[in-house]
Amino acid sequence: MSTTSQKHRDFVAEPMGDKPVTALSGIGEVLGKKLEEQGFDRAFVVLGQYLLLRKDGELFTEWLKDTSGANTRNATSCSQCLREWCDAFL
Amino acid sequence: MAALRNKSDQEIKDLLNEYGIKHGPLVDTTRPLYEKKLKEAMAKAKVPVTKPSPDRTFYREDQEEVTYVTYQTPVRSEGPSGDGKPYMRSRPEYSERDRVDDKPYSRSRPEYSERDRVDDKPYSRSRPEYSERDRVDDKPYSRSRPEYSERDRVDDKLYSRSRPEYSSGRPYVDEPHVYNTLSSSSYSKPTPVVKSGGGVVKKENTTSSGRLIPLWIQFLVFLILAGFLYFIFTNMESAESSPFNRIQ
Repeated sequence: MSTTSQKHRDFVAEPMGDKPVTALSGIGEVLGKKLEEQGFDRAFVVLGQYLLLRKDGELFTEWLKDTSGANTRNATSCSQCLREWCDAFL
Repeated sequence: MAALRNKSDQEIKDLLNEYGIKHGPLVDTTRPLYEKKLKEAMAKAKVPVTKPSPDRTFYREDQEEVTYVTYQTPVRSEGPSGDGKPYMRSRPEYSERDRVDDKPYSRSRPEYSERDRVDDKPYSRSRPEYSERDRVDDKPYSRSRPEYSERDRVDDKLYSRSRPEYSSGRPYVDEPHVYNTLSSSSYSKPTPVVKSGGGVVKKENTTSSGRLIPLWIQFLVFLILAGFLYFIFTNMESAESSPFNRIQ
């Protein structure tokens, strides 16, 4: 099992409801703000984008990097977090 | 195909399909991403593929054939030096290139037969060793395969093509190395280069394996240690009496 952070585990453990975008693994204050500026103010909106990209991890990572300036590590972490959430709840 | 921005959604989708890029619905949030991908794909398509793309399964044989075809004419004369063609593998019949030594050097498939120059230049690793690496001229032979024929002086140190390391450091001795076994397909590791009998003089004089400390030293140290411990053991005062004395 790969090492996952506590934030990741917390997110994946329950339906996301209205959690803010900073609840996503890999998204902190700075990235969260940038995403909110683009209109992605809630985690489910980012989820929507992930689903639009057909749940493709690579595409989503690339999109996240372009949109918020995230680095590869954070973007991959977020992508994985969403994937696992989808596996559990979607 | 500039101005991707101005194309309609449908056109973008068609382009994506044409380049084989998997995509989802094209909406305002996904469009910039797909435009970027299309731009990359178009730029890549313009550049001729010189090296294999990483995500494509790359079979050497395919590549070889391609390059092989291009340089059909054996480089008799100087050859297209510096062609810049990625020489994958020297398959082509080098047999004619045998001009000098006709040692039945059949190794790894192409019958190179000639290369047997003797000068034991420590043949570090030329895979295709066609280059008879051993004459003096060290031409920095970085990569042009075709001219082996004359090139045997090449110093193939720069020859970096990793494939089977034939020699693992064995100098190239001049004697009929018959690598029969290797001539069959496997490029894979002809490391058992050691031919048991063969008078290979220097068998792995250099690092046979990657040990830092030679094996015999390790054994020696171990034996010394064992002897030492035994010595201590036998000289220990042994308590004759049984440990279970009753206290009376």
